[in-house]
Amino acid sequence: MLSSRPLLITLERVTRTFETPAGEFTAVRDVSFRVSAGRFVSLVGPSGCGKTTLLGMIAGLVPVSEGRIVLGDRPVTGGVPPDIGYLFQRDALLPWKTALQNVALPLAIRGRPGAETRARATEWLRRVGLAGFEAYYPHQLSGGMRKRVSLATTLIYGPPVLLMDEPFSALDVQTRNLMENELLELWAETRNTVLFITHDLEEAIALSDEVIVLTAGPGRVKASYPIPLPRPRNVVEIRFREEFTRLYEQIWKDLRDEVQQSYARATRL
Amino acid sequence: MKSSKATRARRASDRLRLTIGRALLLAAIVAAWEAGARAGVIDPYFVSRPSRLGHTVAGWFAGGFIYPHIWATVQEAVLGLAVGIAGGVVVGMLFAFFPFLSGLFHPLMVVFNATPRIALAPLFIVWLGIGLASKVAMVVSLVFFIIFFSTYAGLRDVDVNLINHVRVMGGTRRDLMRHVLLPSALTWIFASLRACVGFAVIGAIIGEYLGADRGIGWIVQYGESMFDSNMVISGLLVLMVFVATLDGSLGWLERRFSHWKQKPL
Repeated sequence: MLSSRPLLITLERVTRTFETPAGEFTAVRDVSFRVSAGRFVSLVGPSGCGKTTLLGMIAGLVPVSEGRIVLGDRPVTGGVPPDIGYLFQRDALLPWKTALQNVALPLAIRGRPGAETRARATEWLRRVGLAGFEAYYPHQLSGGMRKRVSLATTLIYGPPVLLMDEPFSALDVQTRNLMENELLELWAETRNTVLFITHDLEEAIALSDEVIVLTAGPGRVKASYPIPLPRPRNVVEIRFREEFTRLYEQIWKDLRDEVQQSYARATRL
Repeated sequence: MKSSKATRARRASDRLRLTIGRALLLAAIVAAWEAGARAGVIDPYFVSRPSRLGHTVAGWFAGGFIYPHIWATVQEAVLGLAVGIAGGVVVGMLFAFFPFLSGLFHPLMVVFNATPRIALAPLFIVWLGIGLASKVAMVVSLVFFIIFFSTYAGLRDVDVNLINHVRVMGGTRRDLMRHVLLPSALTWIFASLRACVGFAVIGAIIGEYLGADRGIGWIVQYGESMFDSNMVISGLLVLMVFVATLDGSLGWLERRFSHWKQKPL
């Protein structure tokens, strides 16, 4: 494995404002939180609360207006930090490359020899359950299969930090639960630091060690809840536990107000 | 995604039916033309008749008359294509990567592209003579803009998601160029390549028609000046077969290079 030790993610009073024709727009304001090394943390919040902007800033794709983001002991300034993994909400596979070529790309970019690259990409496709699909192009794969290829593409270079932006939101419920379980299994081996964005509270609780609730835009941290459910977990069965229901109720009370506020704002327009 | 044996067999028989149908349609048109001309329903002075055309064209090939003319047209079209494509790709890349350049030249490009090229042909002939150069210039003036706009669009319209994806996995500017931008531009360029070939032949023919001493366009023009409709139509026939062959081989190339694309349902 290329995997280096997991990293701590620290956000200190992070703010992001955009210039828009209507004036200045604040996407997130004064967001501070930490994700301890090797933890699985979810961010939940109503749509439009700046979740994606937050991830973009951590990945160095979106500049920070104010505040500071630190990965391990290295501040994120100007550019993409090394060895970060990002699973996008929309498919980001290169349509002109086969599944194998897509998974191999991060290693090819790192100048690894061709034979090693191919062998490891084949192995990763097998690990995400796609042995035999090496020569398929993205358009020949189903949505769930494409997500698996994306996951393998992100995990193959062992990024110590894994950012996931509603990666499973476009999948049907069954595929989604399967993929969530597979993600947990893979994560149990890699144990990188995961920051997972979702608007689905059940998904957040089922997957995470901690759930952070964001307010309706501009996003701020409203509350943070540890999830003391035992691992290994099955994301479907864990929902039947009493503890799960209790946590869900508790966090939903916080989230509900934000969702309603966000909805009211959106419908008033 | 393999189709079953039965589906494949049905597709093959569909194709065969289509081919036979097309051959019959062509035969019917030719037969009606010949019969009409012989019966005096249509005047062969204006439209000749298939048997005479066949005789003329066969004579051209057998006597070797046609080869230098085909060669001249091919040369003009191919040279013009090569220069036009190379120029279009280079300028398209420059404009895509240096927005100031693009802003500076944009109005000029639009005006030039909107100018009917046929109006420029006399100028090219005055400037460059009735030889090869004026025809190449004519072809370039058509092909360049098509390729330029494709390259520019291909580079500018890349999905930001794909760029971010490669950046996040550690891709440098070079990696982005090689794995995202160029493949994207190439698909656009390939999509317009077939149109380019058509325009290249049109450009060469127009150039020949307006002033040349050889080429398929010249044959047509010469036949016209002699009021010899048989020669004009024979020239057009040679031209049609020539263009169809070119287009067919390009279609084949295109399929080979766009194998990753989704076929329309």
